[in-house]
Amino acid sequence: MREALSWQPDFEELVDQHQSMVFSLAWRLTGDRGLAEELAQDVFLELDRHLQRLGSANHARYWLRQVTLHRAADALRRKRAKAASLGTDLWVELEERHVLVEPLDMDEYSPLGRRIEELLAALPDSQRAAIVLRYQEDMTPDEIAVMMQAPLATVKSNLQRGLKLLRTKASQTLKEFVRGT
Amino acid sequence: MEHNEMDNRDLAEFEQKLRLAMRHREAPLGMKQRVLARARERRPARHGRWWMVKRIAASVVLVAGIAGLWSGVTVYHQNEERRKGEEARQQVLTAMRITNKTLDRVSDKLADNGR
Repeated sequence: MREALSWQPDFEELVDQHQSMVFSLAWRLTGDRGLAEELAQDVFLELDRHLQRLGSANHARYWLRQVTLHRAADALRRKRAKAASLGTDLWVELEERHVLVEPLDMDEYSPLGRRIEELLAALPDSQRAAIVLRYQEDMTPDEIAVMMQAPLATVKSNLQRGLKLLRTKASQTLKEFVRGT
Repeated sequence: MEHNEMDNRDLAEFEQKLRLAMRHREAPLGMKQRVLARARERRPARHGRWWMVKRIAASVVLVAGIAGLWSGVTVYHQNEERRKGEEARQQVLTAMRITNKTLDRVSDKLADNGR
């Protein structure tokens, strides 16, 4: 309460503080780096317009995650509609994009890490969103359920299924990774 | 039991690796500057929109004022014309009444002379 009263939002500071979070969320949810930057910029511009309505730093972080999640879902829907009208398979396109993860972070990411990012793109939307919020943002299933406006049981099921799918698909890479170390 | 424990350990290990793999990525270079520049561009535009709304409102008020004034002047002129017309009509009627009386008097005199 005291934080809410004393909180003086500084737009530039908020961008600085949350840009990597918003960008990472947008990228992992859409699987498209260019689209992710576009989305992240739009999310921050919306933040600029809503700044006075946010009561605390936590509220701002929650708001950013939620708006990014919704905008990414909208962008994927638009992409799918466009792909359907053009007769192309979006998932094939996403898979290709993730396979071509640019080599900027090669040193920072392990082969398993890169493989996980690739596999993430092949998960169904709801599972991918739940996994990203759980393991990137460290949110609890309850918090994810509130944010995604979904029943807790659905979120838990999406997490379990997504995790199982990822683990199965990554097991081969994991074996190679362990063998290699 | 032992298999289950191993499976749980594997899962926990996998979750740990997943957390590591899903750390925040660096935002593209210059993204912050691009966001701030776009935000700055939008701010004057927002003020501009308000300014435009105010201008339109002021114009509407001005046009309404001019229209009101114009109709007031028109009504005044119409009334003035009507008043002048009425005045002229009254003058003509008075002149006719005088002429009529004069003619009556002349007619009476002629009648007296004839007798």
